[in-house]
Amino acid sequence: MSILIIQILNSLFYASVLFLIAAGLSLIFGVMRIVNMAHGTFYAVGAFVTAWLVGRASALGVPAGWTFLLIPVGAGAVALLGIAIEPLLRPFYRRAEEYQLLVTFGLLLILEDVIRFLWGGLPLSADPVMDVLPSVRFGGLIYPGYNLVVIAIGVAGAIGLWAVIYRTKFGVMLRATSQDRRMASALGLNVGLVYVSAFAIGCFMAGLGGAIIVPTQTAVLGMGIDALILAFVVVVIGGLGSLQGALVGALIVSFVRTAGIQFFPEVELAVLYLIAAVVLLVKPTGLFGTA
Amino acid sequence: MDKPTTVDRRKFLGALGVTVGGTGLAGAGLVAGPQLVKAATEPPKGKIPDTPFRTGHMTFFTSPAAVLGEPSHKGHILAAEEINAQGGLLGKRKIETITADEAAGTDANVKELRRMKLEGKIDLFTGIISSGNTPALGPVAEELSLLTIFVDGCTDFLFDKAVPQPKYTFRITNIQSADGITSAIGTAQTWPQVRRIAHIHPDYSYGRNAAEHFTLALERLLPGTEVVSESWPKLGTTDFTSHITKAMSANPDLLYTSVWGGDYVAFYKQALRYGLFDKMKVATTLALGVAPHAIGKDHPEGVLAGVHSNYYFTYPGGDRWPLNKEFVQRYYKRWNEYPNFQSEGSYVTLYMLKKAIERANQLVGGWPDDEVIISQLEGMGYDAPSGYLYIRPDNHQGYKDAVIGFSKNLPAYPFSTWDPDRVITIPIRNITAPPSWPKPGQGHNESTAAADWIKKTWPKATG
Repeated sequence: MSILIIQILNSLFYASVLFLIAAGLSLIFGVMRIVNMAHGTFYAVGAFVTAWLVGRASALGVPAGWTFLLIPVGAGAVALLGIAIEPLLRPFYRRAEEYQLLVTFGLLLILEDVIRFLWGGLPLSADPVMDVLPSVRFGGLIYPGYNLVVIAIGVAGAIGLWAVIYRTKFGVMLRATSQDRRMASALGLNVGLVYVSAFAIGCFMAGLGGAIIVPTQTAVLGMGIDALILAFVVVVIGGLGSLQGALVGALIVSFVRTAGIQFFPEVELAVLYLIAAVVLLVKPTGLFGTA
Repeated sequence: MDKPTTVDRRKFLGALGVTVGGTGLAGAGLVAGPQLVKAATEPPKGKIPDTPFRTGHMTFFTSPAAVLGEPSHKGHILAAEEINAQGGLLGKRKIETITADEAAGTDANVKELRRMKLEGKIDLFTGIISSGNTPALGPVAEELSLLTIFVDGCTDFLFDKAVPQPKYTFRITNIQSADGITSAIGTAQTWPQVRRIAHIHPDYSYGRNAAEHFTLALERLLPGTEVVSESWPKLGTTDFTSHITKAMSANPDLLYTSVWGGDYVAFYKQALRYGLFDKMKVATTLALGVAPHAIGKDHPEGVLAGVHSNYYFTYPGGDRWPLNKEFVQRYYKRWNEYPNFQSEGSYVTLYMLKKAIERANQLVGGWPDDEVIISQLEGMGYDAPSGYLYIRPDNHQGYKDAVIGFSKNLPAYPFSTWDPDRVITIPIRNITAPPSWPKPGQGHNESTAAADWIKKTWPKATG
């Protein structure tokens, strides 16, 4: 029984991070109609910046409890990076998809090299954040309290993003731009500002994903590419451009992956792609996709 | 197949030559001289060109495997700088190095190998970490007639199947099957009471090989053991929470894992927080295989900590084997960090080549042809920092005594290292198939010659 609870928590934990990454990817696609290949690398940047900050803070003797504050700082740094990069991508929004994929893939390679240049090849850890919180007992097993915080942040992220998009004026502008960019522009919307805001929010989400996961693991080279592939599986299942799709897709991927690990270890790799393939066959736009 | 005979386990381990020791160089009884950095004793014969000797070093500079790849490159560069400081190979030819990132993928690596040979005009190809790459690169190196010394990429498949009769390709680090067998022997020696075994391995050739040979050997050493849980995470996975919970749910006595590189660092940090190390013994093939400083002091003590059965920089320790002490000092001075087994492997690669070239020069004069250099590499014995290394002529594979240790936090180092009093050494000839043993497809269909050899010749232990 305690195994079941922990595996469910593991799945929710994994889904939280996946959702943050995939929701950002979907948001950026929804508004700007570009598939951002570099999105996973923004997640990695969030992890590296946070781990580096936590390392610096610990070295300076900052109490571990305060290092929690570095998580939003890490995510915010990625948002700033997004604000700097978005104007550079703008000329490609109306180009064919091949251009967008090539350009954002180039961006991915550049950012990966920047990470390596800045932080080297060693895994970077942010243990102090993780070890502030005590473990929770389930039967004879323990579960790290921090992982529950990650799940809570995932839930808060989903609610927050939903509220911004469906309950604020900015959300209306975002949706208007997404539906008809020229009309929105004609009605006096500052489309450029909407673009850069949407891109920054998407990057913040990815950066937040990286910032919250790094204390439980480490920041390693290549983590962004791994995350990108999983985020693609999520949006293929859920539907690119859909917030609900990202949420449901992340939950499906996480729970199926965990079930695969627990019951069918031999097919752990295949099972996710299998679901994606089935969804593509049955509903090519994804479960919540419209395009 | 005949039913295996039985033998008392202590006698069995004794027959395998397993020793658990302190700082010594068990079983070897060798006397080391300061031969590594020493200049050639005989002056080179004939006229030697002063054109650079171009080497191509391919290893992981990106991806989680860079924790192994960067040390490989650093070992290579250190050796090249030392040799160049003495004037270069045969005192004339300076070693130049071009590099490539192994993370580009197997197909791209094959293209890059061709490009290095045809455009880069390399004289030697070296490096390589992944077992997925050597079987693709080996045949191409043979086709290009390019002298190639793989540092790692240790799969048995390379010389069992992909290049069964190598001419130009060699490999330095121990053959892969030795890894699983070494961990099994370490387990049987240390924890003979374990019966329920959980497995977590990366889902590709290395993980499969490590699992298979561990289980084969352990069935002989500890009959009655069973696999109670297995997980096959993708290589490059950093979320192991579900794998860890699954392994714990099976209540194993021992977890055996071949997860490595950045993946292992992520794994042990999560396993620690899930209390896994309190619930079971843990045996690994590569826990301390990465750059030593990548494993923090939070790593639990007493884990059977593999180094790919090759080398850890504290062993042979002290003054017992000065070659190692001096190598570690020079490496630390150059890079401000300690070497791992890849550093040692790529360092030794260039020095073995240097020795082969010098011998070949004495034989034929002038700059020797590759054929003559190869004839000198075949069967070469070499005093390496790790101990005695032998290149078997039949399969061009390097063999050295396998080592594995136990993790421990020592005040002298800011990272987890080996317990200096509990290093397990196993003579390599006792855990690898002998030269004449049939390869897969020659009368048997086991995955490796080693697997067939264990099944046919190892007795079952009792007691």
